[in-house]
Amino acid sequence: MTRHPLLRVADGRVLAGVGAGVARHLDVPVPAVRVAFLALALLGGAGALLYAWLWVTVPAERPGGAVPLRRALTGSGGVAEGIARGAPAPPRWPVAELLLGGALVIAGAALVLTHLGVRLNLEVILPGLAVLVGVGLAWWQFADRDRPDRAQLPRVLAALALVAVGVLLFFVTSGQPSVWTVVAAALAVLAGVALAVAPWVLRINRELIAERAGHAREAERSEIAAHLHDSVLQTLALIQQRSEPGGEVARLARGQERELREWLFREGDGGPRGHAASIESELRAHAAALEAEHAVRFEIVAVGAQGSAPHAILGAAREAMLNAARHAGGTVTVYLESSPARVSVDVTDRGPGVVVGQIPAGRMGVRASILDRMGRAGGTARIVAGPGGTGTSVRLALERDAAVATHGGAP
Amino acid sequence: MNGDAGGGTRGVTGAPERPGARVRVVIVDDHQIFRTGVRAELGPEVLVVGEAATVDEAVEAIPRLRPEVVLLDVHLPGGSGGGGAEVLRRLAAIPDAAGVRVLALSVSDAADDVVSVIRAGARGYLTKGSSGAEVTSAVLRVRDGDAVFSPRLAGFVLDAFGAGLGEIARADDELDRLSAREQEVMRMIARGYAYKEVATELHLSVKTIETHVSSVLRKLQLSNRHELTAWALSRRLL
Repeated sequence: MTRHPLLRVADGRVLAGVGAGVARHLDVPVPAVRVAFLALALLGGAGALLYAWLWVTVPAERPGGAVPLRRALTGSGGVAEGIARGAPAPPRWPVAELLLGGALVIAGAALVLTHLGVRLNLEVILPGLAVLVGVGLAWWQFADRDRPDRAQLPRVLAALALVAVGVLLFFVTSGQPSVWTVVAAALAVLAGVALAVAPWVLRINRELIAERAGHAREAERSEIAAHLHDSVLQTLALIQQRSEPGGEVARLARGQERELREWLFREGDGGPRGHAASIESELRAHAAALEAEHAVRFEIVAVGAQGSAPHAILGAAREAMLNAARHAGGTVTVYLESSPARVSVDVTDRGPGVVVGQIPAGRMGVRASILDRMGRAGGTARIVAGPGGTGTSVRLALERDAAVATHGGAP
Repeated sequence: MNGDAGGGTRGVTGAPERPGARVRVVIVDDHQIFRTGVRAELGPEVLVVGEAATVDEAVEAIPRLRPEVVLLDVHLPGGSGGGGAEVLRRLAAIPDAAGVRVLALSVSDAADDVVSVIRAGARGYLTKGSSGAEVTSAVLRVRDGDAVFSPRLAGFVLDAFGAGLGEIARADDELDRLSAREQEVMRMIARGYAYKEVATELHLSVKTIETHVSSVLRKLQLSNRHELTAWALSRRLL
C-alpha cells in the first residue's frame, strides 16, 4: 500500500487540515494527532508553533482532487463545477479563527509564564499578547490568500503595527534599560518584523517555485510537441507520397495530417486563427469533407485580410470544389484573395476540362449553383481552361458592395 | 562523374548544360525516413552525394561535398537552434560553399519559418508533400539559378506585399511592393500553374516568367517592408 502524501486535507478539517493530513500521512487515528498537538501546545507552545509551521509549509490538497482530470477528459467543466457547487457544503464557522487566536493566547501565556516563573506580570503579558495577535494576523493573512475578495492591506498594516507596538511596549514598560535590554529590544523588533513578513516571503517563494516548474513543464511540452509533430507530419506526408494516389491509405493519412495541423497551429499562436466564420476556414472545412469522399487533394492558398464572405461566393466556391472533386480529382488548387472591397475565389483543377457551351441544360451544378448564383449576387463567374490547356479553372469574383446591395434579394 | 567536372559547369544558367550530367545534391533533414524517401523518389537527373542530419553536420558536409543543390529542411536540430536558416547563414561565411544553391523543404508551412529561410538565402521553398517529380524539377530549376515558388509561397508573398490591398510598385527598383506583372505571375503560381503554363496564359516567354519570379525572390530577401516580419510572426498559415 502506498503512503498518502503529506497534504493539508480539505474535508473533515477543524482548523487548517494539518492534523488530519498528518494522521493520514502517518496512518494513525486523527484524534491521536490532535491530542498530541494540543498537549504540545500546552507545553510551552511547541505544538502551536509546530502546527503553524506545518500549516505554512505543507501544501493544501486541491479541493476535490479528482475533478480537474475528469473535467479535462469530459470537457464539461461548467457542468461538473455546477454539480460540485450545488452539493450541500457543511456550514463554515469561524472555528479556525477562534482556535488560532486561542492557541496563540495559550502559547503566549505559557511562554511568558515559563520565563518569569508563575508570577503574573501584566506589563509583560499584554505586550506579548499584542505581538502574538499581530503575528497571528499576519500568518492568517497568508493562510487566507485563497479568498482574494477580502481587503488585504489594512490587515497587513494592522498586523505590522501590532507587532511593532507590542515589541516597543514590552521594553518601555520593563523598567531600567541596560545593555542587555537594548540588545534584546533590537533582536525582538527584528524577530517581530521577520515573523510578520515571513508569510509574504514564503508565499512569494512558493509561487515562484510553482511558476518556474510551470515554465519548465511548458517548455518541455512544446519541445516534445514540436518534435513529435514534425516526425508525424513527415511520416504522413511520406505515406501520402508513396501510397497509390487517391487510395484509401492516402486519404486517411491526409485526414490525419489535416487534423494534426489544425490542432498544432491553433495551439501555436493562441487565437487569431480562431475566427470561426472566415471564408478560409469554411473552404478548408469543405475541402476536408470532400477529401474524405473523393480521390482529391485540395491546396488552399489564402491572401489578404480574412473575414466573413458573402454567402453567394461561398456557395459557388463550394459547388466548384465539389465539381472538381467529382470530375477531375488529383490536386485542386483553391486560391482565395480577399480585400475590404472585393473577394475572389479561383478553383483550378487538371481534370478532363469542361466547355461551357456544352454543359447540358440539366446540369444544375454549374449553371444554377455557380453561374446564376454569382450573377444574382452581382458578381462574376468565369469558367476557363485550366493550366496548360487541360482541366478547368473557375474564377469567381464579387465586390463586397454589390453583395451587400443585392443580398436581400437572394434566396 | 567527378566533382571537378560538376563544379566546372556550375554557374552557367539557362538551357540545361551537358545533357546527361547529373545534379549533385545533398539532403539535409533530421529524419532518416524522409531522407531515404526523397532519395528514392528523386529522378535519374539527380545524384545524391551526401546526407546530413543536423545543423553542424550540414555545415561540415556541404563545403566538403560541394553539391550544386542542397535540399534543406527548415527545422533542424543542433547548432544554436536556428535550424535551416542557421545553416544558410553559416554557409554564407564559408568560401567553399559559395556556389551552392539551396532549396528549402518544410513540413511546417508556418509563415515565419518559410520567410526566415528565404531571407537567409534559400532559392525556393517546397512543402514536403510535393511529389518526387516536383522536387526533381525544382532541383533542376534551382540548379539553373531560378527561383522555385510553391503555390503557398506565392500566396505568402502576395499576402506579405499587400497585393490583396491593391498595393502596386510604381518603379522597377522598389523593393517593398510587387509590380503589376509580378503580382499577376504570383497569382498564377498561387492558382497552381507551372511556369510554362503561366507563360502560355500571360503570353510571355518562360524566360520572362523566370525573371519575374527571381525578382520577386530578391524583393522577398532584401525588402525592409516592416509588415513582412511582423506579418510572418503574427500569421501561421496552414
